[in-house]
Amino acid sequence: MAKSAANIGGNRRGIGRWNVAARIIAAIPANYLVTSLAAACLARLLAHGLSVNPAEASVTATLLSFAIFATIALFAFGLRSVTRLWLWLTVTAAICGGILWLSLSMGERL
Amino acid sequence: MKEGLRQSMALLHTWTGLLLGWLLFAMFATGTSAYFQDEITRWMQPEITGSADPVASAEGAVRFLQRTAPDAVSWYISPPNSRSATTQVYWQPGDGKKPARRGETSAVLDQSGKEVSTRETRGGFFLYRFHFDLHYMPVIWARYLVGVAAMFMLVAILSGIITHKKIFTDFFMLRFGKGQRSWLDAHNVTAVIALPFHLMITFTGLVTLAVLYMPWGIAANYAQTSTYQEAVFGKTEEVARSGQPAPLAALGPVMQSASAHWGGKRVGYLRVTNPGDTTAMISVTRAPEGAIGSRGEEVTFNGVTGKPVGQSMAKGAALATESVMIGLHAGRFAEYGLRWLYFLSGLGGTIMVGSGLVLWTVKRRTKLPDPSRPHFGFRLVEKLNIATIAGFPAGIAAYFLANRLLPLDLAERADHEINSLFLTWLAVFVWALVRPSARAWPEMLGLVAVLFAAVPLVNAFTTARGLPASLLAGDWLFVSFDLVMLALAAGFAKGAHKATRKRVEAPRTTRRKPQEAMTA
Repeated sequence: MAKSAANIGGNRRGIGRWNVAARIIAAIPANYLVTSLAAACLARLLAHGLSVNPAEASVTATLLSFAIFATIALFAFGLRSVTRLWLWLTVTAAICGGILWLSLSMGERL
Repeated sequence: MKEGLRQSMALLHTWTGLLLGWLLFAMFATGTSAYFQDEITRWMQPEITGSADPVASAEGAVRFLQRTAPDAVSWYISPPNSRSATTQVYWQPGDGKKPARRGETSAVLDQSGKEVSTRETRGGFFLYRFHFDLHYMPVIWARYLVGVAAMFMLVAILSGIITHKKIFTDFFMLRFGKGQRSWLDAHNVTAVIALPFHLMITFTGLVTLAVLYMPWGIAANYAQTSTYQEAVFGKTEEVARSGQPAPLAALGPVMQSASAHWGGKRVGYLRVTNPGDTTAMISVTRAPEGAIGSRGEEVTFNGVTGKPVGQSMAKGAALATESVMIGLHAGRFAEYGLRWLYFLSGLGGTIMVGSGLVLWTVKRRTKLPDPSRPHFGFRLVEKLNIATIAGFPAGIAAYFLANRLLPLDLAERADHEINSLFLTWLAVFVWALVRPSARAWPEMLGLVAVLFAAVPLVNAFTTARGLPASLLAGDWLFVSFDLVMLALAAGFAKGAHKATRKRVEAPRTTRRKPQEAMTA
């Protein structure tokens, strides 16, 4: 089915199979990774940066994560450039992952 | 650039909607029916009539449990609410014994605490559980699958909104004739009218199992999930029995005291730990109909003295939001007016998914190189569409019919009711594979209409609570159930009629085309 999706995309916009494959990988597995990092990072920032109750912070991050995932999924197909898409994802993952790593190395989990 | 965005969003909408659309159709259909799961259960247990007093029922349940499971770790008692007439009890057996079967540690009781003698059925509860646990597969895989489908749905809705204007002006209006337009209209009308519902129900559906799908927000702050759960729900330590027997406090005053605590709202269920011991505790949870939030407040009482000893913490903003989101999804708070609105919106969602699936084939049929011999992918989608859009409703009708027609003393009767659903679904799938699609559509939609129309008829012949009798008795639950069955039958009959007409028209247009070509 992905094949015919690529064909339709190819017919309309002159984008090939690899382009669609790169977007699907960005939209599902890479998206899940970035969203998970963002949710974890947000939960840490709220709990330790803004001194929100940790349970509240975790739930806030979890609730927002579904909106983040859906938004990234839309951008994965909405952005014109696949290179730019992956660049954004990588930078976001690096920033969130970095903050998470720093935060975890500074304070233990409950 | 904007054109490009709309086109890619249309593409995204098409494929996220299609890939798990069949599962989404079944989820929407069973989820919709689950808004009336108590009523469906009552229809499927026609032996039970009238209503019961919650306090008397809870005390009856205690008498039953003292006889049946005096040494249990805990008892769970759900007294009848405004929508049911029976008490559900289950218990966790003492000394670590694991029950072999579900039925061995649960019972359905009447007000006096006697087990009700009714046909064995899982009733509306089965349809509710299928909505997220599916069937014939491990629950955990089902829940992951359902979560992926829900996320596809959310992306399909959002991309559909972005595409929306373009859909109206460009894609369809100019290209297609009236026959195909009606599918598009069905899709757009059901999507747009109940759009806030679709968005809400999909997002909150994800939230109901959020911890399963996205555990990382909690994992970031808690090394163990149990620490988080204790912080949110309070500690549920198991206290060992002291071994000194003590009579259990009367439940009536305990329930009244809890109710007074919540400004008169009703009790949802009770949990008694270490019953009959000096360490006994009674936890009372507020009825879900009392407020939108799903996580009902709890008051704990000493099980011997009946004095309150604690209550659940007040929730912060995020936890309260989560609780309200889950409550909005399940709709347990809804009175009948709102409940019907939930039901109709869910029905609209089911039609939206179904018509969207059909649109996929409608849009592509005219573009096929040879419409009489479509490629494999097209045929697969068409067959799965028939199997799902006709097959699943046929299965639900068969589930209700089996409830009335299977012998009452049949062993494992409840399982056979469920098997009837899936066997019927399978039969329609096989039929769709064997027959040409253009014939299978009207035949199977017609079959669904006949099956739904048969439900009230069979009900009238096999019970004393047929439509005329329920009308005379003012039994609105049974009247409504039978009328909904007839309405569904009428809807599917109309669908079958339309599908037949299209088949008659189809050869005529193909015949006309060569003539037009010649005159041109």
